[in-house]
Amino acid sequence: MNIIKDTLKEVIYAILPIALVIVFFQFTILHLPTKDFLNFLVGVFFAFVGFVLFLVGVNASLLPIGEAFGATLIQDEKVWLLMGFGFTLGFTVVIAEPGLQILAGQVAKSSGGEIPKYLLLVMVALGMGSFFTLSLTRIIFGVSLLKILLVSYILLFTLALFSLPEFFTVAFDAGGVTTGPLVVPFILALGVGMSAIRGPKAGTEDSFGFVGLSAVGSIMAVLILGIIYR
Amino acid sequence: MTIFVDELIVLVKEIFISLLPLLIIFLIFQFIRLKLPKEQFLVIIRGIVLTFVGLVLFLLGIKVGFIRVGELIGQTLGTLDHNWILIPIGFLLGLLVTLAEPGVRILALEVEKVTGGYISRKIILYFLAIGVALAVALSMFRMLKGISLWYFLLPGYCTILTLMWFVKPMFVAIAFDSGGFATGPMITTFMLALMVGSSAAIKGSNPLLDAFGMVAMVAMVPIFSVLVLGVLYKREELRIARLEKQDRLKEEKEIGNANSISHSLDR
Repeated sequence: MNIIKDTLKEVIYAILPIALVIVFFQFTILHLPTKDFLNFLVGVFFAFVGFVLFLVGVNASLLPIGEAFGATLIQDEKVWLLMGFGFTLGFTVVIAEPGLQILAGQVAKSSGGEIPKYLLLVMVALGMGSFFTLSLTRIIFGVSLLKILLVSYILLFTLALFSLPEFFTVAFDAGGVTTGPLVVPFILALGVGMSAIRGPKAGTEDSFGFVGLSAVGSIMAVLILGIIYR
Repeated sequence: MTIFVDELIVLVKEIFISLLPLLIIFLIFQFIRLKLPKEQFLVIIRGIVLTFVGLVLFLLGIKVGFIRVGELIGQTLGTLDHNWILIPIGFLLGLLVTLAEPGVRILALEVEKVTGGYISRKIILYFLAIGVALAVALSMFRMLKGISLWYFLLPGYCTILTLMWFVKPMFVAIAFDSGGFATGPMITTFMLALMVGSSAAIKGSNPLLDAFGMVAMVAMVPIFSVLVLGVLYKREELRIARLEKQDRLKEEKEIGNANSISHSLDR
């Protein structure tokens, strides 16, 4: 029962302030036709109900899946198997991320269909999957996160020099968008599952860094897309 | 109401396609590796169905409600003579959204734990919220002036990549993760739509160049904020270490004194 109460609170916090600001705008500067405004109110209702169901669903499905995966992954002796699992998981989870769906839609619309929605989705998922795998393997080999991040970001800005400027903005947006309400809890749960097996000492430090490093992959994928388009 | 029905049909198809890989992978893993007990398996399947329904309704509401209105507000504000008003409005909305973002609360709790309470949850929350609000306001400014995102991201990340060597590695991991926490569903949908709307309304502005990039700014600022907190914390740690050392020296001295007194008494 507590989970539902917490979820309700979370969703109200997330949606209500913005909805109220919009209502305020409506009566001061916006003055939308009544029909449009009613559509908006119905939309708020759907978004509210949908977000609650979504979070409850993620709690009951993706979190236990993530933990179970984390626990079995780390027991694996074969690194290539772990990498394979990591990539497939990263790829499939990020494809479903709601924020990414919206971003890809907006980009397709703004570019007049020149950057198709599914191309962007699949590219970002490939990039994110690869870097999620990298962040898993990093832990196995104990490579410093700082060094990987330094090299990655230098690489990102170098790639950006050769990429179309439109793709530069979209790329860094994609990095932020892929780490949304579906990916973040999943990755965190995976980290929890892994550290539960590896013992508390290795755990705390290693359960962070996945999200940040995975985001780099999304950015890189879109930049590469921008180089191909050139 | 037809707009809802039309969107609903599109969304059901889209979300089904995007959740399907996850379901298939889970089923394959379940049978070859995980082998969860049947009860747990059914709970998870039910959860996936719930996720599906929730996602469809959420995106329906976001698309028909928030994104449309966001674009309209953007258009209205963008066509105003005083379209600089977008800057303070961006600041205000950024502040509201961040304070409401569940991910940010989790992050704040984490930092509080790592620093043993030295950096309290409230401080992090306000620090981040003001940071994100500034990021949104700056993005509005960037859009109005048509400045390239380069001039913001390159110096920003250079600073971040330098700062990170001066804090505990743990802080670096949390900092880079926090960029992902701050960009929640409202920033990436409603705020983005608002910017795309206003950019389209402003003459000579290209949404792809000027409106996008706001999420990138919002993702960058928390990294910086958390690293700064990390530097502050390091100073505190050094101070504590120094105090402890002093205490130890003092104690040793006292013991030494006591010893010499007892020696002299012996004599």
